[in-house]
Amino acid sequence: MDQFRLQVNGKHHQVRAPRDTPLLWVLREQLGLTGPKYGCGIGACGACTSIVDGQAARPCVTPLAEAGEHDITTVEGLSEHGDHPVQRAWIELDVAQCGYCQPGQIMSTVALLAANPDPDDDDIDRALRDNVCRCGTYSRIRAAVRLAAQYTRKAQS
Amino acid sequence: MIGRRGFLAAAGLGALSVALPVPALASPTGLTPNVFVSVDRQGRVTATIPRPDSGQGVRTVVTMLIAEELAVPLHSVRVEQAPGDTARYGIQTVGGSTSVPQLADPMRRAAATARCLLLTAAAQRWRVPVDECTARDGVVHHRRKGKLPYSALVDDAAALDPTTVPVTLTPEDQWRVLGRHAHRVDARDIVTGRARYGIDTAPPGTLVAVVARPPWIGARLDTVDDTAARALPDVVDVLRLDPDTGSQGGVAVIARSTAAALAARAALKCTWTGGTPTADSRAWLTDLTAALPPAPTAPSPVALRATYSLPLLAHAPMEPMNATVHVRPDGATAWVPTQDPGNLRVTLARFLGVPTDTVRVEPTLTGGAFGRRFDFDYIAEAALCSRHTGAPVRVLWTRDDDTRHDSYRPMSVHRLQATTDATGLPTWRSHDIATWPLTVLPLPTDPSLVLVNGDHFSYSVPGTPTVVIKPAPLRTGFWRSVYAGHLAYAEEVFLSALATLGGWDQVELRKRLLTQQPRLLRVLDTAGEHHRRPRHGHTLGVACHAEYGSAIAVIAEVDARADQPRVRRVTAAVDVGRALHPSGLRAQVEGCVMDAVSTVLGAQITVREGRVVESSFRDYTWARIDRAPDIDVLIVPSDAPLGGAGELAFPPAAAAIAAAIADATGRPVTGMPSHSPVG
Repeated sequence: MDQFRLQVNGKHHQVRAPRDTPLLWVLREQLGLTGPKYGCGIGACGACTSIVDGQAARPCVTPLAEAGEHDITTVEGLSEHGDHPVQRAWIELDVAQCGYCQPGQIMSTVALLAANPDPDDDDIDRALRDNVCRCGTYSRIRAAVRLAAQYTRKAQS
Repeated sequence: MIGRRGFLAAAGLGALSVALPVPALASPTGLTPNVFVSVDRQGRVTATIPRPDSGQGVRTVVTMLIAEELAVPLHSVRVEQAPGDTARYGIQTVGGSTSVPQLADPMRRAAATARCLLLTAAAQRWRVPVDECTARDGVVHHRRKGKLPYSALVDDAAALDPTTVPVTLTPEDQWRVLGRHAHRVDARDIVTGRARYGIDTAPPGTLVAVVARPPWIGARLDTVDDTAARALPDVVDVLRLDPDTGSQGGVAVIARSTAAALAARAALKCTWTGGTPTADSRAWLTDLTAALPPAPTAPSPVALRATYSLPLLAHAPMEPMNATVHVRPDGATAWVPTQDPGNLRVTLARFLGVPTDTVRVEPTLTGGAFGRRFDFDYIAEAALCSRHTGAPVRVLWTRDDDTRHDSYRPMSVHRLQATTDATGLPTWRSHDIATWPLTVLPLPTDPSLVLVNGDHFSYSVPGTPTVVIKPAPLRTGFWRSVYAGHLAYAEEVFLSALATLGGWDQVELRKRLLTQQPRLLRVLDTAGEHHRRPRHGHTLGVACHAEYGSAIAVIAEVDARADQPRVRRVTAAVDVGRALHPSGLRAQVEGCVMDAVSTVLGAQITVREGRVVESSFRDYTWARIDRAPDIDVLIVPSDAPLGGAGELAFPPAAAAIAAAIADATGRPVTGMPSHSPVG
C-alpha cells in the first residue's frame, strides 16, 4: 500500500492504494466521485472520461502512481448545479436516455471545446469517436456539442 | 428468472391495460390518496414511479402524467422509485414496450384523484359547486372566491372519503404537460454525475465481489487454488458458486475494493471441466439451416427464394451487470439495476428461503438493459456472497464478463419464397424459420410462442410462417424486439428484394399491399413524402412494422460508394396513438435506429472453440458517433389507443438499412450483418 497525493476538482486528497491501482477505482471508492463510470476497464468505451491537465483522459487505464502530479477534473468538478455550458446544452436537448455514458461524453466535449471553440461535424466525430453510447443518443450529442459551443462563445464575447 | 406472467408482459402478450391497486392510505403528513401520488402540507407533489428506468424514460413520462392531472409544473414534482412489490404497485416489468400503454390511465387516475379531492376541499370551504373550481400550478381558483394553494387544502382533502368524490380526467385539449416537450426528470443529476446507478450503490460496509467465470460454454469448476488470491491485501474471502443455484457458476473473490477483488481474481488458479469446448457458431448456423423444414410447394412457379442467417447478439448495456445485496438474519435488501423488481423480490425470497415480505428490492437507475436485466444470475451471485460474509456485497461484472456470459439473442435461419403476378406483386409467400428458445424462460418456448411474439406480417399476401425450435447451445434471452427482430427483418428485406425484382418502388409496392392497413398506409405515406428521393449517389431502403399497438414506417438512405457503407439519413414516421412524451418517443426510435446501424453493418457475437470471441466494444463493434445518421422522427397522431414504442423501430430500421445497401451494391442481403459473413 502506497500513499499518494491527488488533486481532483481543485481539492487535495491523500489516498492509500497499490501504485498500479487504476485511478478510476480510487476516484469512485475512496473519493466518492461516482460521476466517472466503469464501462470497460481498458480505455475502450469512454464512460470514465475525465480531464487531466486539460486533456480528455481515461481513469480506468491511468495507474494511480501516474496521477499524482496532475490536475484532475471529473464531471462533478464542472459546476455545482449543472450550469456549465456543456451541461446546459445536454439538458436543453434532452440528450440522455439511460444517461450512464453521458458524464464521459460531456467531459470529452469539454476538452474538445477548450481546444476548438467551433467544431464541425467531423471534429465532433473525431473527438467523441471513442465514447460509446449504447442507447444511441449520438444525433442528439452532436447537436448538443454545437449548442454548447454557441453557449460558450456567447459567454466569452 | 421471470415467471410466465413476466414473460407474457415482456413479450408483449400481456393485457393491454392493468387494473392497478389504488388504496386510500391514512397519512399523517399530507394527502396520500394512493401509492403513486402524495401532496405534503407544503403542497409539494411526490410521484412514485412503479417501474424502473433503464433509459426508456418511464420516470419522465409517469411524472408528466401526474403533473398534468395534478395541475402542477413538471419540475416541481419530486420523483421517487417504487420498491419491488407487485401487490402495491401492479406489474413492474419493463418489457414488451408496455409502460406507456399500461400505466398512462392508472397514473392519470391516481393523480386526478388527488386533484379532485383538493378541488372538493376548496369547494366545500368556499361553499361553491366543485365544477366552478379549477386547478392550476398547484393552486385552486374560483372566479369570485379567489384562490387557495394546495398547501392550504391538503388536510381537508385528506379527511374526505375518496369513494364519494368523482374523478374526472383532464381533457386532452387542456393538456399543458402531456404531448409537449419535456426534459428527462433526472437530466440535471445525470449531467452533474449525481445520478446513482446500481454500480454506484454503496451501503456502509459494502464489499465488492468479482467472479472467475467458466472459460468456455458450459464449463464447470473442477479445482481452484486460491492461496495466492487470499494472500493479497484487502481480500476477505473466496467462494465457489455452484452453477445450479441460479448463478452461472464460478469462483467469487470478495474484497474491500474493486481493484483488490480484480487483482485477487487474476491470482486464482482454476481448472475447468465439461461443457462444449469445441463449439463454433458457424456450425450452429449450419445445424439451424439443416433443421429448416422442407420448403412448402408453391401454387405457381416461385419468383424469388432467399435465405437469411441471423447472428448471436449481446445486450452490452453501458453499465455492466451488477447487484448489491445484503442478506441479514431478518431478511434481505437488494439494490439492483433490474427490469423486473416485483418478480425479482419473489424470486430472491424463494432463492434465500425466506418470506417475501422480509425482502426489499430497491431498483436503481439502470445504465441500459435491452432485455438483459430480467435475468437472476447476477443477483444470485451477490446474494450468495452476502449470505456467506454477512456483509452487503456488490457483485461487479467486468466488460469481458458481461460480453462473454450474456443471455444472447438467439441465432436464426430464415428461408422465404414468393410467387408473383404479371406485374411483379407477390401473390403467395412462405417463411420457414429455424431458431432457438429463450433459455432464461422457466417455460419451454414452443413454435406458437415465437409466432405470437414475432409474426406481425401486415401485407395482403397469403402465407403462414413455420417455426422449428432446436435446443439452444448456450444461454439465450430477451433482446430488444425479441423474435419480431428476426421475423420482421427477414420479411421486410425479402419484400424489398421482391420490389427490386419486379421493378417496383419500395414504397409503392408496400402501398399496394397495405390497402387494408390504414395506420401503416398513413405512416408510410408520411415517411415517403418527407423522404422522397436520395441524394446523388445514395440509395433508399424502406420497411414497415406494426406491433405494441403502434405503427411505423422507416426510410433509410445509404451511401455505399466507399468500402464501408454509411447510413446518412433515416426518416421514421410513427403512430403510437397520442405521443404523451414526444422527446422520449423520438429518443426510443433514434435508439432503435442506432441498434439497426450497428447490427446491419457488422456487430455480432461469434463463438470459436467453445468461447465467445468478442469481449468489449473493441470487437463487439457497436456503432460510434461517426456512424450516426441524421434521424428525423415524424410523429403521426391518431385516435388509436396508446401504443408502445421502446422496441418498435428496430426491426424496420434494420430492414430498411439492409435493403438500401442491397440496392446500392446490387448484392442481395444474406442476413444480419446484411452483407458480410454471419457466425
